[in-house]
Amino acid sequence: MDITLFLQQFLNGLSIGSAYAIFALGYTLIFSILGIINFAHGAIFTLGAYFTYALIGGAFGFSGLLANAALPVQLPFALALILGSTLAGFVGVAVERFAFRPLRRKGSDSLLTVVSSLGVAVVIVNVIQYLVGAESYTFPANIYGNLPASFNFGTVEKPVPIRSIQVVIFCVSVTILTILTYLINRTKYGKAMQAVAEDSTTASLLGINSDRFIVWTFFISSFIAGLAGSLVGSSVSIRPTFGIEFGLKGLAVIVLGGLGSIPGAVLGGFVIGLVEAFVPADYSGYKDAVAFGILFMMLLIRPQGLLGRRFVQKV
Amino acid sequence: MSADQKIDLTANHQILEIKNLSVNYGGIQALQNVDLIVNTGEVVTLIGANGAGKSTTLRAISRLVNPRNGQIYYNGRNITQCAAYQVVGFGIAHSPEGRRVLARQTVIDNLQLGAYIRSNQAKVKADINRQFEIFPRLAERRNQLAGTLSGGEQQMLAIARALMSRPKLLLLDEPSLGLAPAIVREIFSIIQNLRDTGVTILLIEQNATMALNIADRGYVLEAGRIILTGQAAELLNDQRVKSAYLG
Repeated sequence: MDITLFLQQFLNGLSIGSAYAIFALGYTLIFSILGIINFAHGAIFTLGAYFTYALIGGAFGFSGLLANAALPVQLPFALALILGSTLAGFVGVAVERFAFRPLRRKGSDSLLTVVSSLGVAVVIVNVIQYLVGAESYTFPANIYGNLPASFNFGTVEKPVPIRSIQVVIFCVSVTILTILTYLINRTKYGKAMQAVAEDSTTASLLGINSDRFIVWTFFISSFIAGLAGSLVGSSVSIRPTFGIEFGLKGLAVIVLGGLGSIPGAVLGGFVIGLVEAFVPADYSGYKDAVAFGILFMMLLIRPQGLLGRRFVQKV
Repeated sequence: MSADQKIDLTANHQILEIKNLSVNYGGIQALQNVDLIVNTGEVVTLIGANGAGKSTTLRAISRLVNPRNGQIYYNGRNITQCAAYQVVGFGIAHSPEGRRVLARQTVIDNLQLGAYIRSNQAKVKADINRQFEIFPRLAERRNQLAGTLSGGEQQMLAIARALMSRPKLLLLDEPSLGLAPAIVREIFSIIQNLRDTGVTILLIEQNATMALNIADRGYVLEAGRIILTGQAAELLNDQRVKSAYLG
């Protein structure tokens, strides 16, 4: 493989990998605090993309309840991105309130909560489809304002062009990863959140209101999902189901990295992104198979994942 | 009201009063009509066999379990309906059964979280240093993950963490459990020192002799009921206590 092609695939892999990483981080945050995989995460990713699309003034098609509707406002992409992701965050809070908390209060088996979150995913996808139809929408090409269509990471003779959106995805994702890592590991509230994740009974003895941290975790996790959805959606196109595939990919990422491990989710995201990027173009239809092939191998060889810990506890 | 009466009132001030408390776990009655009083400045111990309901009593005070019947008053305030996370804010700290240190966080972080409800970081820092003076072993291991500490060190951390909230009432659940005799003595002398600094203590122990030796009063719990109560010295000499718990 020639060096410029290698570099190009590598950078593309980093970009999509960073999106996988922040998306998977959302799964991980909820998993580490509740021990439950939130299957609605992929649907919220989709929803965030639709919110952002609507807020930049994007028009919807002819089918669905809101046929031909568009918001009267046309926000700049950056603002729409933040607002759309915030709305996704609030949806996440509602999901916790209505699909998770009632079951937790009853002390239900966590499997029931998983099924409940799966139900929420189906509802969200179908509501989107009902409102704006099943067709795909593409973000306008000019949403990045003055940014050129691509950046050249090579030389003039040997160009390595990377689409601007890929660069934006990478920068935003790395920023999010940095902020979150700081919040979780360096602040009082981050440590309190870790305490809730490790042992919510003990956390409550220390005066930590677990429910409040759980709500915040859902907000942050869903905000990031919305952000990832909007960014990835703006680079391809959005359909009501596009978060489902991404959601499954996210599962591969967290199992690869180690369930519940935050650095694991990040590492897993980059690994899957890079491996996918190096699937030869002729076999690009097998990208997903590669991701899940890795997942399968991982489960056989090292079930706790790359950075996961075995659950042993001193009594 | 005369000055004498005032002094008298504070001397016998009830920091904790439990009235007619019953707790059920599923179909099993863990506590039946328990009445218990702790006065400010006292060390009160609750002794009894395994499964007698000692830990359940503390868990009820900390609002980790919901009573079926009865009330819990703290400084005259009914806290029976409060949420668990509010209790430490009232001035009650609980060093729980099995220590329950946060294994994945460092010693310092555990102590800092013990002061979660406090906002003055300078004072919190000073208090952390005070804990390190009381428990020098923790100072040596300040940056170590709590899960890597020995059992005795974890117990010290659990007590130190509870103290970080500056409690008026400290609930200690089996601080001697599973520890070597030398460490047990060390921990008991620390408990005695705490009492001298004015912390009121409700202590659960299986090691009834040691507990009664440092306590003012004691309650004996059997199958969820209080069967005996009195001054610690009296209980130490009581035939029933001797045969059942002092061995």
